[in-house]
Amino acid sequence: MIVADNIQIHFRRGPLRGKVHALNGLSLEVRDGDFFALVGQNGAGKSTAMYCFLGLLKPNSGKVEVMGKTPELGSPLYESVAYLPEEPHYHLYLTVEEATRYYASLYGKRISSKTVNDVLERLGLAQFKSLPLSKCSKGMKQKVGIAQCLIHESRLLFLDEPTRGLDPLLVREFRETLREIHQRGATIVMNSHVLSEIEMLANRVAIIDGGKVVAQDELRNFLTLDKELYNVTFEPNGSMPDYVTLVEHLGTVVKGSIPKERLYDFMDYTRAHDLNVHECSLKKASLEDSFFKIVKGAMPA
Amino acid sequence: MTELIRANVLANFAYYRRSRLLIAFLLVFLLLTGLESLPALFSDSGVQAFNTLQGIFSTLNLYLLLFAGGLSLFLISSSLRSRSLKMVFTKPCPPSVWLASTFLSAVAVSLLLNCVVLASMVVMSLFWHVPIRAGLLFISADTFIASVGIIAYLMLLASVMHPAIAVTFALIFNAGMFYDFQFWTQSAIRAGNSSLGLRVLEKAFHYLYILLPMVHAFGKKTEGIYSSLRVLHGEWKYLVYAFGYVLALSAFCYLAALSALQRKRYI
Repeated sequence: MIVADNIQIHFRRGPLRGKVHALNGLSLEVRDGDFFALVGQNGAGKSTAMYCFLGLLKPNSGKVEVMGKTPELGSPLYESVAYLPEEPHYHLYLTVEEATRYYASLYGKRISSKTVNDVLERLGLAQFKSLPLSKCSKGMKQKVGIAQCLIHESRLLFLDEPTRGLDPLLVREFRETLREIHQRGATIVMNSHVLSEIEMLANRVAIIDGGKVVAQDELRNFLTLDKELYNVTFEPNGSMPDYVTLVEHLGTVVKGSIPKERLYDFMDYTRAHDLNVHECSLKKASLEDSFFKIVKGAMPA
Repeated sequence: MTELIRANVLANFAYYRRSRLLIAFLLVFLLLTGLESLPALFSDSGVQAFNTLQGIFSTLNLYLLLFAGGLSLFLISSSLRSRSLKMVFTKPCPPSVWLASTFLSAVAVSLLLNCVVLASMVVMSLFWHVPIRAGLLFISADTFIASVGIIAYLMLLASVMHPAIAVTFALIFNAGMFYDFQFWTQSAIRAGNSSLGLRVLEKAFHYLYILLPMVHAFGKKTEGIYSSLRVLHGEWKYLVYAFGYVLALSAFCYLAALSALQRKRYI
């Protein structure tokens, strides 16, 4: 679906200033049907990479192909592409209804009022359809962006920090809509800092650091199991066995870890003391753990 | 293609309807014109009514030219500065279509305003019992053609520079200004100062005068129409010539602005 091969992008911030290397040999591949997440620190080059895939930036060197073609501004390639920008870069003077119709019409087909109204109804925007975008919350603007994906059933979606600034309810709603679009067969490329969200949605992840991909794999391979340790959460009764390494106290509950070979001792102990055990599972590295490990490993000492 | 142009033009019309700056300009222009027409309301003289009508028409046409510049300048610079073009160019709508739509939207609004001004002049002529002269139609058409040239020129400038710099540039770099400069240098040379520097300057001003856009390309030939509101049979052809000039100017400005838009980074 998307192939980026050794992309280099450098800007000159001003006539007397030096060059900024935004992308420094970035290579990655997004496959058809992927929910692909780009992860990295601020300034790592995630958004720049996305702008390259969208044709908004031309690489100084290297090659980008989206659906087998080089992305160009406004090319027919975009007939099956939708993009939700990071900042609210919408036409703020348009109302919700006008903007939905406008963005949908830019795919070259006339959109009936019924289609627009149905989508607005589905996204809970029907009552705000006469409200100018300048007066809408970020969540409402993002929904206007999503409306175009629903009207045209886009095959490829680019989402740049889509949940930044949204309230928890909207985030959940948004996540469900994305799952629905992905299940329909769309490929989704998303930038996000919210690693827990990526764990919930993505199936493949690329970690970008210093303008290049430092790791790219299936999400499940980032969430490796540490087969030597168990995570346990239980309610202790006074003293604790010495093989439990305490992680944190959560009221009356304790989170800790135990070596694999002491699992049966721990079970005997909890049975003997009649303790409530909330959780006992093999220790799993989160995406956050993998991210820190990889990024710190990539950093010069 | 047609649907894309239609969608962009409708969005641009919404911008014009809601742009407070443009509406404020329009109101100020109307207020100034209203004040200018006040004395005529208290006069019975036909000559004074004609002079007032001519004055109002001339003022309104000047405002129409200024307003036409604002139509393309504000739309293009606000689209570039708000970065909303990201949402357009990541759809199958290339910069060529968006720019053409923007130009057509500004031209359509300018045409509408020219028609409104012409209709108002006809109504005022009837009200003050001043004969309706063909010059009204000629001047309206000429103003509209000049407006198209201004829209095209400011479309180009707004695509490559900050709007404030674009306005300053347009005020300095226009054919009228360099025609005057050329006239002064020629006068100085005729008066006996034939230094090399002055002759080089005269040539430079001449070429800039030729190259830079003119508001009224055949203004010298049609001066009489503006003062008498009468059109001789052979004078209508200047409208066709002016239209041809503006078409060529618009095509050049469109291609140059398009080239600038295609090189920009929309991030």
